[in-house]
Amino acid sequence: MGFLDNSGDIILDAVLTDSGRERLARGDGSFKVMKFALGDDEINYTNYNKAAASTSKDLEILQTPVLEAFTNNTSLMKSKLITITRTDLLYLPVIKLNGNLGVAKYTTEDVVLVTSDETTTNGMTIGDYLNGYDILGGKNLRADQGLDTNATPPTIQLSSDLVETQYIVEMDNRLGAIYSPDGTPSSVSFIDDDSVASYFFSRDGVYVRDNQDTTDDGGTQQVIQGPRGTYLDFKIRASQNLRSSTYLFDLLGSTFVIGSTTYKYIDTNIRISGATTGYSLSVPVRFIKQN
Amino acid sequence: MAVTFKNLVSDRDVANTRTLLNEAIPITGSVVSGTYSDNNIKNYAHGMFQSVYDYPYLSSSANHIFDLTVGYSADSSLSSSAASQNSKKINIYSQMAQVLVGYDSDGNIRDFDRDGSLASGDKLKECVFINLARLLTKDEIQKGSFILSVATGAAPTAPDFSSLLTISDYRATTSYKTNSPAGDYALLYTSSATPNSTSGVGLLYYQAGIAVLTASVFDGSFGAPGATYDTSSIDTVLTGAQISSSCDGFRNRMNDLAFNNTTELNSTIYFCRANTSDFNYSSNPTYLSGSKIRVKEQETDSPISYVTTVGLYSADNELLAVAKLSEPLKKDPSNEFTLRVRLDY
Repeated sequence: MGFLDNSGDIILDAVLTDSGRERLARGDGSFKVMKFALGDDEINYTNYNKAAASTSKDLEILQTPVLEAFTNNTSLMKSKLITITRTDLLYLPVIKLNGNLGVAKYTTEDVVLVTSDETTTNGMTIGDYLNGYDILGGKNLRADQGLDTNATPPTIQLSSDLVETQYIVEMDNRLGAIYSPDGTPSSVSFIDDDSVASYFFSRDGVYVRDNQDTTDDGGTQQVIQGPRGTYLDFKIRASQNLRSSTYLFDLLGSTFVIGSTTYKYIDTNIRISGATTGYSLSVPVRFIKQN
Repeated sequence: MAVTFKNLVSDRDVANTRTLLNEAIPITGSVVSGTYSDNNIKNYAHGMFQSVYDYPYLSSSANHIFDLTVGYSADSSLSSSAASQNSKKINIYSQMAQVLVGYDSDGNIRDFDRDGSLASGDKLKECVFINLARLLTKDEIQKGSFILSVATGAAPTAPDFSSLLTISDYRATTSYKTNSPAGDYALLYTSSATPNSTSGVGLLYYQAGIAVLTASVFDGSFGAPGATYDTSSIDTVLTGAQISSSCDGFRNRMNDLAFNNTTELNSTIYFCRANTSDFNYSSNPTYLSGSKIRVKEQETDSPISYVTTVGLYSADNELLAVAKLSEPLKKDPSNEFTLRVRLDY
């Protein structure tokens, strides 16, 4: 994509996304714009120079060239602007993967491992992985939300307007599906034209729970240093295709070794976004199958 | 409560408009005959018409610009079993007439009429048809914009381009016909000074993108370069030559063709309003250092964000359309704005 001409008046370059066109073509009334959001994907806020004079603090940011619109719906609006009525906030909540109380990344490859069949699961020599074959076994994937700062202790309650109440999880539907911590399949909200499935989880005590641990444990269990909001907890089951064949592994993946065992793998990302606060976390996930 | 979406209220934030977009389409005669040594001219085995491209048609860069064909009515004086491609010329005429003129109350195909009054008057029984490609005409030809200049008289091997006949839909912006099944049409005249019911030399169908010229406009000799009928009259060519030869003759007499097309744009405008307290914070990963907001030193500082993108969403949060600003727009509690996003269909 090229950059937009920014030499004159501000213009808007508007396009339908591929999924927008697909809904329009369906002709069933599913193409209906109901709301909008504003994004700032290109902005690098580290360029904000607080030490500069008032008029030039954001000079570099305002000179940022803006790309033309992509038509792929999943490539845009990665970071949304947030409406919070209060203007006196100095800290905003983040979402972090909790590898202490849930599955941790396999540090060598910086990915969360998901096994795809029984042989792979039984042969695992490391403890941190998601059991994508037997959904009742193994660990959960857990993401915690709150203010990750030591400026405010975790004993202070997170302001209610900053507590995330709904999470959106997006993942490649060809590779796997989301299950609840007790092994119940989650219902998909929609699957887009690129096979990306979107799941919505509300504060229901099953997937999304209040984090009531206010201890400052130095990071041994809790990953949010300051006031804590909610956490999201779920499992991932490998798709039937991954469990029963190597087709997608050969098509999309490669091989790697843990210990002396060679595995076929497919890398993907699971994106966890706060529907309320807008913050998002991308979790690199690797589906593996013993070669 | 923190939110990232703002609902659009249909009767306040959404508006529908319809605008007509006109483009000027100039087609020079040298493209139609000469520049590409007729490699941009496509003839077919069936011989019913000839296609003209703007570049040699075997190239993927070529665009179809119009088709040419000729025909005459079954009761034309030229109709004869001895005439070349007699039935095909009648079929072409009938096909064009039934689509553009329609049928009488008995179900018979009407002939093209010189003044557009179908019940009576002089009929155009021998015609040249210029079927302009939809790529050029888009939704319709703009009324009053059509200009065709052709060389008449003299042998086509050396058409006299110093003596041009200009054919146009003069006064069509205020005077056009609506009694065709194919939409609006107007009469073509050779002079803006004398339009009247008997001076028409053809018909221009705006939505169909078809110009119908009476063959009688080409007086004197007519024919294809190098063909047997170079120096013959138009009537002799229409009876003795194939359709493609007649088309060649017409092409080589074309000096210029120009018109404006019209595209009907149906738009929905979404007024995305960012009020003073809206969208002042960001979920951009670089917005925070740890959890601290980078653009603030202390709590009393105003939050600041920069807009580059507007996303339009369905009720279930699927991104349906997106608009990009040409430069970042600063948003803080001291300002508010409305971004007007227009989607054209």
